[in-house]
Amino acid sequence: MVVLDPTTLINVLLIAISGTLVCIAVHFIPVGGAPAAMAQATGIGTGTVELAAGSGLVGLITASAMYAIPSVQADPNAMALVLAAGAMGSMIMLASTMLAGSLVYAYGVGVPFASAQVKKDPITGARQDLYMSKGTQGQGLPTVCFVSGIIGAALGGIGGALIYFVLVKIYATSALIGGSAAAVAGVFTMGVFYVNAVVPSYGVGGTIEGFHDPKFSRVIPKYALTSFVVSALCGILAILIGGGLI
Amino acid sequence: MVLDLTMSMAILAFMGALATIAGCLEDLESDVGSQSNPNSQVQLAPQMNFLHRIYNKAISGEPISNGLSAVIGGIVTTVMLNAKFFPLTAIVLGAFVAAIIYGIFATTSYAGRVASQSRFKQPLYMDIMRYTTPSIIAHNFIVCLCLVALAYIQSQILVPAHPFSIPFLALIWGISVGAIGSSVGDVHYGAEREFQNREFGCGLNTALSGRIVRRAESGLRNSIDNVWFCAKYGGPVTGIALGLTVFLSSWPTTVFGYTWIAIGVGVAIVLVMVILNRLLEINVKNAYGPYKEEKNEKEAAA
Repeated sequence: MVVLDPTTLINVLLIAISGTLVCIAVHFIPVGGAPAAMAQATGIGTGTVELAAGSGLVGLITASAMYAIPSVQADPNAMALVLAAGAMGSMIMLASTMLAGSLVYAYGVGVPFASAQVKKDPITGARQDLYMSKGTQGQGLPTVCFVSGIIGAALGGIGGALIYFVLVKIYATSALIGGSAAAVAGVFTMGVFYVNAVVPSYGVGGTIEGFHDPKFSRVIPKYALTSFVVSALCGILAILIGGGLI
Repeated sequence: MVLDLTMSMAILAFMGALATIAGCLEDLESDVGSQSNPNSQVQLAPQMNFLHRIYNKAISGEPISNGLSAVIGGIVTTVMLNAKFFPLTAIVLGAFVAAIIYGIFATTSYAGRVASQSRFKQPLYMDIMRYTTPSIIAHNFIVCLCLVALAYIQSQILVPAHPFSIPFLALIWGISVGAIGSSVGDVHYGAEREFQNREFGCGLNTALSGRIVRRAESGLRNSIDNVWFCAKYGGPVTGIALGLTVFLSSWPTTVFGYTWIAIGVGVAIVLVMVILNRLLEINVKNAYGPYKEEKNEKEAAA
């Protein structure tokens, strides 16, 4: 029987916050979908859900490996270390992907990097509009997009690691699934991650350049709230699974 | 098994090598079968009266289809390991079953997609299906073999062992390899190979959508020609991306332990990559120059 004590409520709240972090993270990651795969839009040439999930799940691998260490579990600051490990894995995956993608844009396709949303790169101050070819919405990954992607990956990694951290502790004490707590927590984390990567996709609408894109501030409040509510429901479900339904 | 630092690093390097091969072959598999975002052009071409001989499968987004394939390989391997099979045999059998199932998906997907385009008179070429499908299966077999081996090493050999099971690790690496392949190598296929008749670096106008190249170096172009081209750059770069991901996400904790120092080193690696990207951006802008001249300069010249 699941008891609605303050700890349970805090756990649900933490899962809801994690889901919201993942949702916000998706907005930071510069994706251009099919147009970017044809070098017709700035960003990475794939979908929001695919890339956010791909990077977040690498973060889940590093975070779960960190939590599996007995000395880390005994550490009172274990939570911060696990979240940092999640962020690190996620950032490394996305940085490697974006760097390799830039190599393809640079030497495989032969286009200079340009953002369509700003005239000058807010970080480097480099001109963007001159390098945008006719009939496109920019191409490649300018520095501002790269940095935005790294921030997004860090938030996504933290979000995924936090869900895992909360759930694995709940499941470890469960009589039903205590033996495979890591596996169940991992699968549920992946589920919550996917839910929160899909929710903002409607607002992103296939392409977003990062925090400098006007779309970013326009859509983020609505979808962050939606993700919070949806993730809270997921959290309740996750805790019910741990305690049994009777 | 107790591993010293040298042995841990050797295993980590082997994991990186496996990931590099998996990443490269995954991208080439998506090129030979035409999957993910560039396939939108292959799908669109018949509607623009550009009938073609390119395989058109796109089972789903690359991460999902590769995740499915890898998890099937992981499950079969786990069952075989429980039946006391030798690990390498179990991994090979798992990858083989996964690749065959993937081949079934590819076949039905190709037939279904082309059938849905009958109103645009796009034919379903049986010879293309006959000799491209085995190539897709072969590529996917190697991807699964590498990913399941990677999952096996993480779960069974590395010390401390990863808490996730082989199928779950294989699923995550399958999703990641798909995400990386879709982000990196597919750009080479979509932005360069499909529009190779345009000037290099011209920047593709959206008005060109669907007008893909249909003639090859000799005869009519098919997917085998595409994978031949992408194997020269797009595939290897994708491999490097996954190899870096696997190696660099584990290297800090292997060397510095599960501590804050390792996290700091990981962040430093990311910062180095940001700088590398900036240097690349500067280099490319200097090499190719702008598409447009600045208005003020024009006026001054006048």
